[in-house]
This record gives sequence, structure tokens and C-alpha cells, in this order.
Amino acid sequence: MSGGAQLLLVEDERNVAETLVERLGAEGFQVTRADSIASARRAIGSAQFELALLDVGLPDGNGFELARLVRVRAPATAIIFLTAHAAAEERIRGLELGADDYIGKPFHFRELLLRIQKCLKRAQELTRVPGDMRGQVRIGRALVDFERFSATVNGESVALTHKECAVLRLLAERVGKAVSRDEILDRAWSTDEFPTSRTVDNFIVRLRKLIEVDAADPRVIRSIRGVGYLLTEINRE
Amino acid sequence: MRRTALIAGAALVWLALQLVLLVWWATVIERQARRIAALQALGAGGQDLAAAQWSRTRLMLIGESSTFLALLLAISLLLAWLYWREQRRARSMQAFFASVTHELRTPLTSIRLQAEAIAEGAQRVELARRLLEDSHRLESQIEKTLELARIEGGGSLADQEIPLHPWLAHSIRDIAGAHGARLDLRAHLDASLPPVEADAAALQLILRNLVENSVRHSCITPVSVRLTAVRQGRYVVLEYQDNGRGVAAGTGRLGRLFGRGAASPGAGVGLYLVRRLMQRMRGRARFDTAPGDGFRCELWFRAGA
Repeated sequence: MSGGAQLLLVEDERNVAETLVERLGAEGFQVTRADSIASARRAIGSAQFELALLDVGLPDGNGFELARLVRVRAPATAIIFLTAHAAAEERIRGLELGADDYIGKPFHFRELLLRIQKCLKRAQELTRVPGDMRGQVRIGRALVDFERFSATVNGESVALTHKECAVLRLLAERVGKAVSRDEILDRAWSTDEFPTSRTVDNFIVRLRKLIEVDAADPRVIRSIRGVGYLLTEINRE
Repeated sequence: MRRTALIAGAALVWLALQLVLLVWWATVIERQARRIAALQALGAGGQDLAAAQWSRTRLMLIGESSTFLALLLAISLLLAWLYWREQRRARSMQAFFASVTHELRTPLTSIRLQAEAIAEGAQRVELARRLLEDSHRLESQIEKTLELARIEGGGSLADQEIPLHPWLAHSIRDIAGAHGARLDLRAHLDASLPPVEADAAALQLILRNLVENSVRHSCITPVSVRLTAVRQGRYVVLEYQDNGRGVAAGTGRLGRLFGRGAASPGAGVGLYLVRRLMQRMRGRARFDTAPGDGFRCELWFRAGA
């Protein structure tokens, strides 16, 4: 199932890191280990990873900073946080930063393995962009590139998280038609993340800030009461 | 929780006292006003008496109200300070429990991963070594937390006279053994030094905490630790020096409860325990560190007879 996927493991606890490298390696993954933000930066600069496993507490900073860096430098890379600080606030912060999953320590190796496989599968689906969505697509004031997980707004490039990309692409594929919140949840979130309709609403708020001229008066992503959301227009450039 | 309840109780008592004072004050003023009105009603002679009475009343009002306001302000400030201190303490406790939880969960994660690997058929000495190391770390964290609770709860220490030279020669083997090849610990002590006033168990815990800090935070394997001692007046000073990377946070934070280097793992308990245990043994601990200069600690023991 791993197909030799390239993983980046950023973990400063030597025993945890060494065991994970060995066990993930035995499952067929190519694992590169980093024990700090500095060494992770070097690794990101020299190789492409399909998934990054990030510890939150690192000797030279925290994994959230690193997640931002990964989002900008390697937007196609899926992110899973591994942390002993698994409070709800931290989990939400991690997911809002674009993490695909968040696993609290201590965890079972098999559970980690399953989550890695699910994340890789979702990331692969996201990178398979259909022909009519390739290249740059204008949505509202943003020029979106689904293949590069990025948007350009007023000449400034913004990295999109996997989930933002998934939600926006689903709306774009069904332009002019209402998409239910449940459908959005099915596409972008896994069932074990326990998302709610409110989670979708939060993502829509963020997307509106990106693409609407006035997010308080949305014209591009419209709310359809009792159903979900509708994207009014896209232009292929 | 009990502290917060006490502060809340004190605030309620203070409020009740203020209400009583207000009622009493209003009663006195009302009585004075009635007396002045009665004197004014008496005519010319009464007018002079009323003026004198009014002057006394005014002085009384100024004096009492100033005292009352000063008292009100002082006690309100005291309550606000107590509340702020309690909040700070609650935040520290929260941070401490978050850190301790982190310190317990991390070795637990490793233990689970090794155990799962063994259960699935892996049989390697390295897995057993990691298991031992993590269980030792877990044990050490639990010991520190229990010792912290004991010391803060007023637990007592034995008053012994310990000859440092033979004691260290024996204890170093135990302490160093737990860290294997990751530590090079050596003591260079003069056998003629007088014994020190200390509790042997506390002394062992102090050295274990210092060594554990060096092994975990030095970023050097093996970390080299040297122990030397000199006599300084009534004291014997045991100097501890490692060759690690030092701590960037500065010495001010070290030894304070939950104080630790900005990027250091740990709960911030180890050095606090060192400082508190030294104080309880009528000595003191001094920490000194800078990036690149390693970590240095002076343990000042009272010299025995």
C-alpha cells in the first residue's frame, strides 16, 4: 500500500524517531528523519516528500511553524502532526494550519500506519486534477492553480492547504449548482476526524476572505439556506 | 482550589464589613444632622453651638472618610494582588501539568512502539535497550514529581555528615550506569575535604537531576561531566561542569519552578528541586550557563565537623 512513498519524519525524541524510521521502513516507506526545524528545512530543500510527520515540540521552535513552511515550499505534501499536546485547541490550530491529521501520543503503530495510508490516498486524489481544472482558474478575485495548491490574489501568491483546495475544487467542479455540507465533508475530511458542518462553514469563511472582493457580502460563494454552498462563477484563463 | 476559596471568602467578608461600616457611618451622619437641626431651631445661642457642632462634624467626616477610603483602597489592592498571584499560580500549575503530561507521554509512546514491535516478532537487543532507557526516564519523571510534592508539602530531610570523596566514588557508578555510553562522568576530589552536612538521598537526587539534564540537553554524545570540590570558609563547594551546548535562556530562569530554556524539553522541575533541596540542607545552588559554554553548577554545602 505504501508504494515506497517518501516520508519526512520530524521528531526530536531519539527512541521514538529511530523506532518509527525502522518500522515505517519495514512497511515499505522511504523515511527521512530530521530532529529539528533547521534539519527539516534542509531536507525539504533537497527532496520531495509525499507526507510529513511533524512533532509539535521541537528544540528550535514548534511544528506549527514548520507546517507553514511545508505549506509554502511543498504544498502537495500531506501533513500529520504527532504530539503529546493533544488538547482540542492545539488540534484545531494544527488542522487550521493545513494539517491533514493530528495524532496524540502515545499512539499505536498500526493506527499511525492506517492514518498515513488514508492521508496519502486523499493527497493522491487531490493531485489528480481533471483536465478542465488544470492551469490557472479565476475564481472571484483569485487566480487559483489546483495543481500547485496555490492562489494569486492582487499579485501575491498564497499557499492553499489540501482541505482548502479540496473544498474549492468540489465547488468549482459543480459551478452553478448547490453542494451540500455533507458532500463537502465527505470529499475533504476523513470520518475519524469527527468534523461537523461548522467545520465546513469555517473553511468557507477563510475561502471567502481569499476570493471575495468583500467577504462580508459574498457574491462568488453563496450560502444556500438549509443545503450548503454554491459557486457562482469560474473563468478558465 | 482551597486557596481560591479562601480568597473568595476574604473578599466576601471584606464586602460585608464595608456594608456594616457604611450603615454605621450613615447612622452617625444622620444623628449629627438631626443634632445640628435641633440646635439651629433654638435660635441665636443655638446658631453658634450649631456652627461649632457643624465644624466638628465636618472634621470628623473628613477624618473618617479619608481613613475609610485609605483602608478600602489598601484592602482592595491586597485582594487584587492575591487574586493576581493566584491566577499566576494557576497558570503555572496548568503549564506544569501540560509539561509533565508531555514528559510522561513521550517515553510512553516509545515504550508502546518498542513493545508492539516485540509483540509482532522483532527480537533485537536495541529494542530492549530503548525500553530500558524509556522506562528509566519515566521513573525519573515520576520520582521528581513525587519529590516536588514532598518538599513543597514540608517533607523532612535527614541531617547527616557525608564524606564527599568516598560517597561520590560509590554513587557515581550508580548514576553513570543509568546513562551508559552517553555519559562520561568523573570526579576529582581531595580526600582531605571535611564531610558535608546533607541528606544522602537528597544528594543522590540532586546529582541524578544534574546528570540527566546534561545528558538530555547537552546535544553531545557522550557528554563529559566533571566534579571538583574546594573548601570555602564554612562551606564545601562541589562544582559541576559539563561540556554541552549550554542554555540560551540565561541563568535567571534556571532553578525557578517550571523555568527552563526556551527550546528545552522538560517540565522545569529538575533544577528547581536541586535549588530547594540545597536550601533545605542549609546550603545553596548557583547555576551558570551560556550557549556554547556548557552548564555549570556550584553546590554550597555546610562543612561538617
